[in-house]
Amino acid sequence: MSASPTSTAAKPYQHSAFTNDYEFAKGGYTLPEYPFVAPSELTSGTTVRHPIVIVGAGITGLTMACALARQGIAAVVLDEDNSVGVKGASSRGICYTQKSLEIFHRLGIYERIAAKGIQWSVGRTFAGHDEVYAFDLRQQSSFQLSAQPPFINIQQFYIEGYLVERIYELGCVDLRWGSRVAGFEQHDGFATLTVDTPAGSYQIEADHIIDASGSHTPFHQWCGATVQARRGDDRWCIADVRFKNLPPTERHTWIEAPFNDNRAVWQHLMADDVWRIDYQMEPDADPAKASSESEVRKRLQRQFGAEVDCDIVWVGPYAYRSQCVDTLHIGSVYFMGDTAKIVSPFGARGGNTGVADADNLAWKLGAVMRGRAPAKLLDSYNHERLEAARQNVQVTNRTARFLRPAEGMERVFRTAVISLARQYPFARQLVNTGRMAVANPYSQSAVCEKSGGLSVQNVYFRWQDGSQGCVNDLTQWADGRLLLLVFGDQSLQARQRLVQLSRKTPVRCVQVLGADSRTQSRETVRDPQGHLQGACHVFGHAWALVRPDAYLAATGEAVDGALVQAIEHALALA
Amino acid sequence: MKTNLNLQDADTFYEQLLDAHSGLNAEQSELLNARLILLLANQVGDSRVLQECLVAAQLPQAATAG
Repeated sequence: MSASPTSTAAKPYQHSAFTNDYEFAKGGYTLPEYPFVAPSELTSGTTVRHPIVIVGAGITGLTMACALARQGIAAVVLDEDNSVGVKGASSRGICYTQKSLEIFHRLGIYERIAAKGIQWSVGRTFAGHDEVYAFDLRQQSSFQLSAQPPFINIQQFYIEGYLVERIYELGCVDLRWGSRVAGFEQHDGFATLTVDTPAGSYQIEADHIIDASGSHTPFHQWCGATVQARRGDDRWCIADVRFKNLPPTERHTWIEAPFNDNRAVWQHLMADDVWRIDYQMEPDADPAKASSESEVRKRLQRQFGAEVDCDIVWVGPYAYRSQCVDTLHIGSVYFMGDTAKIVSPFGARGGNTGVADADNLAWKLGAVMRGRAPAKLLDSYNHERLEAARQNVQVTNRTARFLRPAEGMERVFRTAVISLARQYPFARQLVNTGRMAVANPYSQSAVCEKSGGLSVQNVYFRWQDGSQGCVNDLTQWADGRLLLLVFGDQSLQARQRLVQLSRKTPVRCVQVLGADSRTQSRETVRDPQGHLQGACHVFGHAWALVRPDAYLAATGEAVDGALVQAIEHALALA
Repeated sequence: MKTNLNLQDADTFYEQLLDAHSGLNAEQSELLNARLILLLANQVGDSRVLQECLVAAQLPQAATAG
C-alpha cells in the first residue's frame, strides 16, 4: 500500500532490469501508479450507502467495474494497492480466450490488446524427443467465425491497465486506490465495510458487494463461506524470460522433458518478446532453491543451449492447488474470479473464468438497477457461474493428475498413453497437458431454456447498407436489453406479435435475412453466409434470444407462447 | 482395429479408470486391470480386431517404460 498520495499522471510501462532477489515481487516492469484521493466519507465523516462496491482491482474486479460503467451504473472499487499487476505470488495470467477477447471488445479495449498481444494457434506436445500431439486452432471451425482470434497472449497487467484507463474514460465508477477493506458486517439487505486508507479509516455501506479480492480473500471467513479444496505435492517454477538470442518459435509443452529430469516443461510466448517457461519441479521441492537465479539460468541453458543469452524478467515458485466455494452468493456478497474458485493454470481457466464471472453478473445487476428485472435474477449468477467454476476445477484437476500421476498404476497408465500416442492417433487425445478454456455452457440455469445456455460468437453480418457489423454491435444497440434475432420471412401476424413484445418487455428485435430476401421491418440485418445463424446454433426459420453477455437464453421456431415464456424466464420475471 | 479416437468422453473415462485404482495395492490393481481387459474384450468380440489389438499392444523395442 502506498504511504502517501502519488502523482496523478500514470507512468507508461517500462522494462527495467531484474534486480531483486526473486522475492515474488515487482518483476521486470515498472507499472503505472494511480493516485489515492481521499473520498468524501473521510472528510465529511458521514456513511454513504452505495448500490455496488467492488473489492479488488484485478482483472476480474476491473472487468466488472468496466462492464457496469459501460451501462452507466455507478459503483465504487476498493483496492489496497495503487497499481495494476501483483505484489505477491498470485495471479499472473498470460493467455486470453476468444470469449474473453469478445467481452473486452464490447468493453472497448480489444484493439489495444490485439495491438500489444501475440496471437498464436499452433501448440505441440513432446515426450522425450518425440512429438506426441499437436494442434492448429486455425483449423478448428469453431474458432474461425468470430471477429476475435482463438487466443491472444499478453501479460495480465496490460489488460488491467487498459481497463483502468477505460473506466476513467467512461466515468460512473469511483476507483479508490490505497483502500484496504479491514472489516465487514452483514445487515438486513445491505452490508457495512470498514476501509483503511493512508488518510485514515472510514465506513461504507453497500447493497451489493462484489468480492474480487483474490485468493487471500477475508470474505470467506467473514461470510462463513465453505470451500472444497485440494492441495497436491506438485511444484512448479515459472520464469518469464526475454531472449537476446536463440528465442523459441512456438508454444511447446513437454510431458517428459529430457532437459528437466524428465519432468514437464511449458514454453509460451507473450508481449514484448517475453516467454514464459514453466518447469515442473521435484515433488515438494524447496521453493527458494528451485527459483534461485543460478538454478533458473542452469535450467534455461539445459533447455536452450549453453550460449543462450536472456534477461530474466520474473521468477516465481508455485504450489498449484484447486479450490471452489460451495455458493457464489452469501447475503450481500458475490464471489467472483479467484474468490470463487482457484485452479491450476493449465488451459488458461483462471483469469478467463473471472472475466466471464464479471460479464455474467454485470448485465444482471444492470437489469435489476434499471428496473427491468427483479432481484431474483441475481440468483442465476450463482447457478450459472458455479456450474462453470466446478467444471473448470474438474478439468484442470484432470490435467494436474496427468502431469503428476500417483506412483503405481496411475503412472503406469500415463506411460502406456505416451507410448501408444507415438503410434496411434486415439491415444494422443488422452495426453492431457491442459484443455484450453472455453465459454462454459449453462446446462442447469433457471433463466435459460433447454435450447439455450450456449455462448454466441461475435460473428460478422451485413447491415442494410451493406457495411459490416458484428454481434457485439447488436448487443450494444440493445443496451442491456435482450436481443431477439428472428431468422427468415415472418407472417404478418408474427411481425405484429414481435412489435408488441418489444413494446411490453425489455427486448429489442432484429430480423435476419439472407442475401436477397425482401425487407419486412425497419430493424433488419443480412446474414448472407449464415454465420449469425450458425453462431446462434439454429437452422432455417427460427428465433434466438441473446442476452447482453452474448449467451443464448433460448432458441425456437415459432413466434408463440414459448418465446414469451423464454423472455420471462430469461429476466426471472415469471 | 480403430486407431482414431472412439471414446465419447476420453477425459472422463481416463479419470474413472484412475479412480477405480485409487486405494488398491499393486496386486489388486493388476487383478482389476486383468478383469477389465477381459470384460472389454468381450464387448469387442470380433476375433480379428482382438488379434490386432494384441499385436498393437506388444511393447515396442524403443519404448522402455519411464
